[in-house]
Amino acid sequence: MSSRRPSSRGNISEDEINELISKLQALLPSSRRRGSGQASTTKLLKETCSYIKSLHREVDDLSDRLSDLMATMDHNSPGAEIIRSILRS
Amino acid sequence: MARCRGTAESLCQGRLDLDDDKFGAMCTTAFGCLQEWPDLGAMCGANLGVPAMAGNGNESSCSGSGGSRKRKPDAYDGLDATGGANDMSKRPRGKRLSGISEIVAPGKGKQERPKAGTKKKAEAASAAAAAAAAGHKTDYIHVRARRGQATDSHSLAERVRRERISERMRYLQELVPGCSKVTGKAGMLDEIINYVQSLQKQVEFLSMKIAASNPVVSFDIVEDLFGRQLKQSRRSPAAALPAMALPAGQLEPSCLQMSHMPQMHPSAAANSTGFGLDMVVNNPYAPAGASCPVSAAASVSVAAGPSTTEPCLNVNGTAAWDIGSRNLFSGFVAQFQSVESDCLLNNFKMEM
Repeated sequence: MSSRRPSSRGNISEDEINELISKLQALLPSSRRRGSGQASTTKLLKETCSYIKSLHREVDDLSDRLSDLMATMDHNSPGAEIIRSILRS
Repeated sequence: MARCRGTAESLCQGRLDLDDDKFGAMCTTAFGCLQEWPDLGAMCGANLGVPAMAGNGNESSCSGSGGSRKRKPDAYDGLDATGGANDMSKRPRGKRLSGISEIVAPGKGKQERPKAGTKKKAEAASAAAAAAAAGHKTDYIHVRARRGQATDSHSLAERVRRERISERMRYLQELVPGCSKVTGKAGMLDEIINYVQSLQKQVEFLSMKIAASNPVVSFDIVEDLFGRQLKQSRRSPAAALPAMALPAGQLEPSCLQMSHMPQMHPSAAANSTGFGLDMVVNNPYAPAGASCPVSAAASVSVAAGPSTTEPCLNVNGTAAWDIGSRNLFSGFVAQFQSVESDCLLNNFKMEM
């Protein structure tokens, strides 16, 4: 099997897909913990779904906290200045 | 198989005195089953599919057949809840195969007159068989199988597997913004990978910002997060102690990394705009080769006392803390608290 069939551009070889799948697996926390045992694609995709959801939750939570922090903080305090400088960067 | 039969029969009976409400309920039931039990799913799909072919009921039958083919995404909102799905689909394949082929045989004769079966309750079972055969056909058109090809257990399993993968991909496509424009599996996977990476970075950056902004508050947050972590993973009680009380062996590598990273990247420390935290964000997975534990650094600095904060900072090796102590933290205690809390925070993130 050739790695890329020139006739049909949409058809991508299994190798490329597998590479992407393993790349995705490396990103997931569960697979990082367990070692690199090849899990099934179905399971992997499912885990990806729940992981993305948890990351969404995390981001929401953290930005809520940050905005709370900004609201409660004195505008002239050195801490607020530092936060502003971080946010700019 | 017994349970499967029972459900199919009851569904069939429900179909006999059909009204729209019940039909809607059946649709949702069939959706739920479809993921967990491929063969039951086929039967349920058949139950829905037969009235659609018979042409009674416009909108309800429409939702039935359309739903079984298109797999509406909101059916997967409870994706986390269907954790047992994979276990259930691992039943012996041979059994399922025999069940299906047994259904296919009578189905051939009955398929032409599906309405006849629906009228007599006594023929519920055979109607189910006919319906299943029809459903087998309609359901697997989706995965491009023709009748007669599908009786091989391997190809059946493979088809189910591919089906499930593409379902998940469709679901992911909704979760990841901009993914619907991309065509092709590889492009989608690429997009998903990028998205996950960006989300991870975002989380890391946000938590670092919070940790940097206020040491006391960040410590509270860390305590909060840490409590959650304990609840989730039920780790050893030693983990609940503050990091400085732990001996070196029990500390996570990330903790060590925290205090030694600037030493490994002195140029980064020099060029950094002011925060050791930034460096951690940039190098989250640097090897934690350093062996000097945080507790050792802590004991040195504690022994040195608040009057000699500068040596303590040198022990930690962070120019960044130096800046932090002048601008951000009022005293040594607060500063050390933040070191500790950041260690814990980092620790927590490695756990996720």
